[in-house]
Amino acid sequence: MHRTVPSLPLAPSVKVKLINAGFQVASDLTDMRPLQLCKEAGISQEEAVEVLQMLRDDGQPHQQRAATESLTALDLLHQEQALGSIVTFCSALDDTLGGGVSMGKTTEICGAPGVGKTQLCMQLAVDVQIPVCFGGLGGKALYIDTEGSFLVQRVADMAEAAVQHCTLLAEDTEQKQALEELTVEKILSNLFLVRCHDYVELLAEVYLLPDFLSKHPEVRLIVIDSIAFPFRHDFEDLSQRTRLLNGLAQQLIQLATQHSIAVVLTNQMTTRVSNGQSKLVPALGESWGHAATQRLILRWEGLRRLASLYKSPSQMEATVQYQITVQGFRDASDEHRPTPDTSAVSSQLGNHSKRPRTEDLS
Amino acid sequence: MGSKKLRRTGVSADICERLKRHQVETCQDVLSVTPVELMRLAGLSYPAALDLLRLVSKACVPAVSTAWDLWRKKGELCFSTSLPALDRLLQGGLPHGALTEVTGPSGCGKTQLCIMLSVLATLPRTMGGLDSGVIYIDTESAFSAERLIEMAQARFPEFFSAKERLLEMASRVHLFRELTCQDVLNRLERLEEDIIACRAGLLILDSVASVVRKEFDTSLPGNLTYRSNLLGQEAAVLKYLSQEFCIPVVLTNQITTHVGEKVHCPQWNQADVPAEEDSGFVTAALGNTWSHSVNTRLIVQYEDTERRQIVIAKSPVAPFAVLSYTIQREGIRLEGNASPESVLNQGTDPGLQPIRVRTGFIYNLSQATPSTC
Repeated sequence: MHRTVPSLPLAPSVKVKLINAGFQVASDLTDMRPLQLCKEAGISQEEAVEVLQMLRDDGQPHQQRAATESLTALDLLHQEQALGSIVTFCSALDDTLGGGVSMGKTTEICGAPGVGKTQLCMQLAVDVQIPVCFGGLGGKALYIDTEGSFLVQRVADMAEAAVQHCTLLAEDTEQKQALEELTVEKILSNLFLVRCHDYVELLAEVYLLPDFLSKHPEVRLIVIDSIAFPFRHDFEDLSQRTRLLNGLAQQLIQLATQHSIAVVLTNQMTTRVSNGQSKLVPALGESWGHAATQRLILRWEGLRRLASLYKSPSQMEATVQYQITVQGFRDASDEHRPTPDTSAVSSQLGNHSKRPRTEDLS
Repeated sequence: MGSKKLRRTGVSADICERLKRHQVETCQDVLSVTPVELMRLAGLSYPAALDLLRLVSKACVPAVSTAWDLWRKKGELCFSTSLPALDRLLQGGLPHGALTEVTGPSGCGKTQLCIMLSVLATLPRTMGGLDSGVIYIDTESAFSAERLIEMAQARFPEFFSAKERLLEMASRVHLFRELTCQDVLNRLERLEEDIIACRAGLLILDSVASVVRKEFDTSLPGNLTYRSNLLGQEAAVLKYLSQEFCIPVVLTNQITTHVGEKVHCPQWNQADVPAEEDSGFVTAALGNTWSHSVNTRLIVQYEDTERRQIVIAKSPVAPFAVLSYTIQREGIRLEGNASPESVLNQGTDPGLQPIRVRTGFIYNLSQATPSTC
């Protein structure tokens, strides 16, 4: 209640009138009635009501909320364990990420052209739909495409391969029942697709995402492929671009934590020349590096494709090799696997058990 | 969508007036500022500013569909190139709604491929064509109408035996000659009307690189960013056109010398390659950012003095693959591609893939018929 009037989230003209009338601190306003405030400050009646309502929300409920909202780390641990993660079907990469792409966080995938960023995003959009009894999340996905690289034939191939994978794993009746409903048609129907042509449409879509998520609560993954393309050529004013990108990053982090979903962004690489040498670095500038919680960099090394975990709060930095096969994003070693034995295949669904993790902490 | 005027979006009139005083008139202007800036410009409280942003977003947000809706239109997703092995690898042909780039050294067959695709697009659907017009933007004045006719007659002799069919096919290919970067960009931005008027099903831009490279000297400071911005704008407009009209877009590019270590590439293992140990190698032009912008990259290069190769260097659906071909009267003819070993699950960076250039020439004066181009 020691908040000063200029710092309140009110319209600028209203603030000016309140200050001119002598109200300096929020506590000066608490016991006022609307009509009295209206006469003293010279603002309209609706504006007076708005001011007083804002103060009321700002005061007590905020303190109450503060008391209940502090979590202990133990609560957080339970929450994180219950959330699960989205497998990538490349077991080496899953191990590096600690089970897969984590929920409740934003992950950025940077990479050179043609290295497999879109392939990985499409694979994740399929993998998030694997039923819970197989160790997946059974959720839907939203794919925001800004580049036009989403090709539905490829997703259909990946969906087909994922269904076959689960068929080989199905053991008990619950899994077999879930398998009957898991068809390529269903996987494609649960994949929402939005095509944004420029940064304005992308920003508009992100502003409306909270409404979308409340209408479709089963969505557990949002992919933006790519976030770099619309922002790289339309801006003369780079500081404006940085402001917009920061706002975007904040909104996405908020969505990820509030709704416990995974947000995956794709970034491009740009050439930076320094000391006469040119290197490839992630695009969108240095400050964008802070935006995502986890950062994965995909690159070529000769004929091989490598994935490096570059930034993560919980996992160690590591580099693994992967490859893109007809079935999708896979480990580098399993090139020809006509009939894989079930034990090796089941390990690919993550190193945790096929059932959701039960409480093992007393 | 972003250029929609605010007064048509349901925003109240006095807020529109207040914003107009600060030159904020369209949805794009509103969304290009942060919420705090919008508070100041519109004179609103913070929650009201957020509501305004949501209202404006609803006016210009694109529609949501599902992958299943896209999958159901399966028959219209690809444009067959009439080269069976290439179609098989690309899972149907050149994708609609995406940019396909053909790059390679001069004289390798890029323009020939474009002319061949123009003929194919005008064919009826029963013959694998799109039964539509073609928009051909030519920046090098390399398009030859005589070659178009010759190719059509040689490739489909029975269909084009009647002269009217040839003339009708030729009348469906619309040629635009643009010679500067700005002309190309202006043409692209106004192309919607032309596409609708010609009922175009294929858009060809031959070539992207020639105008850009002759106008921008990248050794001068600032030119590189300006060039990248221009290319980014071109790519964005092309993607918009290809997506909205659901048509394939074919671009051609040139080559440049990349100074640095040579990258190993798979297909060189088969032929006996002379060890050309320069410190540089030839690769696709226009840089790394452009490599991100195209969705599919096909590299044409020389195998030996007679034969050439198509390399699928970047594709969302096809693996890295190499196919041999020659250029005949009827256009491109694939030959000698029986072995599937050229298909690998590996690849290289499509921006750094080395390209073989022509090293020898045939000076056979005794052969009077010019069979190679």
